[in-house]
Amino acid sequence: MKKTTIAIAVAILLGALVLTQSMFTVDETEQALVLQLGRPVGDKALGPGLHFKIPLIQNVVYFDARILDFDAQPEEITTTDKKYMNVDSYSKWLIRDPLKFYQKVRTIQGAQARLDDIVRSQLRVALGRYTLIEVVSLKRKEIMDALTERTRELIEPYGIDVIDVRIKRTDLPPENARAIFGRMKAERERQAKQYRSEGREAAAKIKATADKERTILLADAKKQAEIVKGAGDAEATKVYANALSKSPDFYEFTRSLEAYRNGLKNSTRFIMTPDVPFLKHFR
Amino acid sequence: MNWDWEKLQKQRQGQHSPGGPPNFDDLQQQFEKFKRFKAPGWQFIILILVGLWLLSGIYIVDPDEVGVVKRFGAFDRVTASGPHYHIPYPVESVLTPKVTQIQRVEFGFRSVGSSRLSTFQQGQSREVPEESQMLTGDENIVSVQFIVQYMIKDAKDFLFNVYDPTGTIKHAAEAAMREIIGKNKIDDALTTGKQRIQSETRDLMQFILNNYKTGVQIVAVQMQNVHPPEQVVEAFKDVASAREDKSRFINEAEAYQRDILPKARGEAARIVNEAQAYKGAKVRKAQGDANRFLAVYEEYRKAPSITKKRLYLETMENILSDPAAEKLILSDDALRKSVPYLPLEKLPRAGKTAPAKQ
Repeated sequence: MKKTTIAIAVAILLGALVLTQSMFTVDETEQALVLQLGRPVGDKALGPGLHFKIPLIQNVVYFDARILDFDAQPEEITTTDKKYMNVDSYSKWLIRDPLKFYQKVRTIQGAQARLDDIVRSQLRVALGRYTLIEVVSLKRKEIMDALTERTRELIEPYGIDVIDVRIKRTDLPPENARAIFGRMKAERERQAKQYRSEGREAAAKIKATADKERTILLADAKKQAEIVKGAGDAEATKVYANALSKSPDFYEFTRSLEAYRNGLKNSTRFIMTPDVPFLKHFR
Repeated sequence: MNWDWEKLQKQRQGQHSPGGPPNFDDLQQQFEKFKRFKAPGWQFIILILVGLWLLSGIYIVDPDEVGVVKRFGAFDRVTASGPHYHIPYPVESVLTPKVTQIQRVEFGFRSVGSSRLSTFQQGQSREVPEESQMLTGDENIVSVQFIVQYMIKDAKDFLFNVYDPTGTIKHAAEAAMREIIGKNKIDDALTTGKQRIQSETRDLMQFILNNYKTGVQIVAVQMQNVHPPEQVVEAFKDVASAREDKSRFINEAEAYQRDILPKARGEAARIVNEAQAYKGAKVRKAQGDANRFLAVYEEYRKAPSITKKRLYLETMENILSDPAAEKLILSDDALRKSVPYLPLEKLPRAGKTAPAKQ
C-alpha cells in the first residue's frame, strides 16, 4: 500500500512537471514564437493566453506586442536656406512579424539601432529639401508624413511596423538663436520707437488743432467785437446827427463853448485886446 | 512537513503551560493523541491551503479604479468598482488602474516641492529652457510653459497597447505644442491666440494618442506662462511701455486741448461782451448828449440872442475864473508895437500879476 502511494505521488509529480513544462502563457502585452530545435513552429506568432508545447524539444521566445518607443538623439540638420537646426524626433513602432524580427535584429536594442540609422538618414534627406520656416511651420505635417512613410518602407523587412515618426523639437544652435534674439530685439525696438513717435505725432496734431481753434475763436470774437463796436458808433453817429441837424449853428456854438471850457483849463495864458467881445464893457 | 508539524505542535504544547515545569505524562499523552490524528491533519492543512488559495481570488476595486482581469495573460474582462472574484493564480490575475484620477504633466518648468495638485506660481517653479523655448511661425523664439492633464479613458488600451504610456504622452505633448506654436506668430502666442493654441494642441495631442491607441483622454492643455525668451524680454517690455507712452502723449495733448479751448472761449466771450458794452455805452451817451442838446436847443429857440450871450459869458467866466489862468490884456496899439517881439518867456508867470494897463 505504501508503495502504491509513493508510485501515485511520483506519477502526480511527474505529470505536474510535464504539464508545467508543456504549458505556457503569453501576456496581453506580449507575443510569442515557438521554436522546435531552433526552427519556428507554425507561421504565426502566438497571441495572449494559454498555449502548449512539447517539452524539451520546443522552446518559447517572447516579444513585446505593444507600441514601442524610439527617442532619437537630436540631429543637426542644414536646411535649403543654409540654416542649422537641431531636430529631435521620436518614433513609435511595433513588432509586426516576430519571426523576421527575431531573424534580423533579435532584440529591441537591435531594432532601435536600425531605426536610428534609417530615421537619421531620412531626416537629413527630408529636411534638406526644405527651408527652416517650412520645417518649423508650413510643411511640418507633410514632412513628418513623408518621413513616416519612407521609414516604414525601409524598416518593413525587419518585421517592424512604424506607426509614427514625429519631429518633437526643432531648436536652433546657440549662435543662430542669438541671431534670432538680436533680430527680435531690433524688431521690438523698432516697434517701441514707432509707438512713441505715433504718440508724439498724435499729440502734436491735437495740440496744433487746439492752438488753431483757440486762435480762430479769439479772432472770431475780435471780429465780432469790431462789428458790434462799429454798429454802436454808427448808431451813435445817427443819433447825434438826428439831433444836431435841428440847428447846426447852435450846436457849433454850444459845442465850441464846451470845447473852450475843456480845452483851456489850467494855467492857460490869455493875451487879449479890449476888442474881444468879452471885454466890450471893460473898455 | 510532517516533522515541522510535530515540532510546531510541541512548541504549542510548551506554550500551553507557560508556568511551572512541563508535565511529561501529559505531554506524552498529547503526543499520542496527536499521532492518532495525523492523517486527518494532513487533509485539513490541504483544505486550509486550498481555501486560502481560493480566497486569494477576492479583490476589491476602489471607486476611482476599474478591475482588468487577465486569464492566462490574456485580457478577459473589465469589472466595475466593488468586491469581485477571479480564479486565483496562476489562472487569472487582476490589475486595477486608477481611471478617474486626472494626472498632470508639466512642460517647460518643474514645480518646486512638486505636488501633482500644485498650481503654477511664478517663482515657485524652476524653468527648463530646453523644454520651454520653441520656434514660432515667424521665426521668433518664445518660451512656453504648459501643463497637460489627462485621464485613462480605456483601461485595457492603456495597460496593454503602449510600452510607456506616460512617456508617450510627454512625447506627444511636446510634438503637438511645438507643431501648433510653429504655425502661429509670436504675438498670437503671447497675447490673444492662447486659447486657440491650447485647444488646437489638445486636439492634435488627442489625435496623436488615438493613433497609438493609448486609451488616454486629454482633459486639458493649459499654457501657464508664455513669455519672450529672457534675452529679449526687456525689449518686449519696452514695447509695452512704449504703447503706454503713446497713450500718455495723446492724453497729455488732450488735456492741453481741454485746458486751452475753454479758456479761449471765455476770452472770446469777454471780447464780444466788451464790444457790446462799448456799443451800449456809446449809443446811450449819444442819446443822452442828443437829448441834452435838444433840451437846451428848445429853450434857446425861444430867445436865441440873449441865450447865446448868456452862455458865452458864463463860459468865459468859467474859463477865466480859474486861478491858474494867466490873463494879459493889451491895447491894440501895444499889441501892434509888440507883435514883432513879444518876449513871452520873460513875462511874469505868476497868476496874480495884474493885467497891464495902457
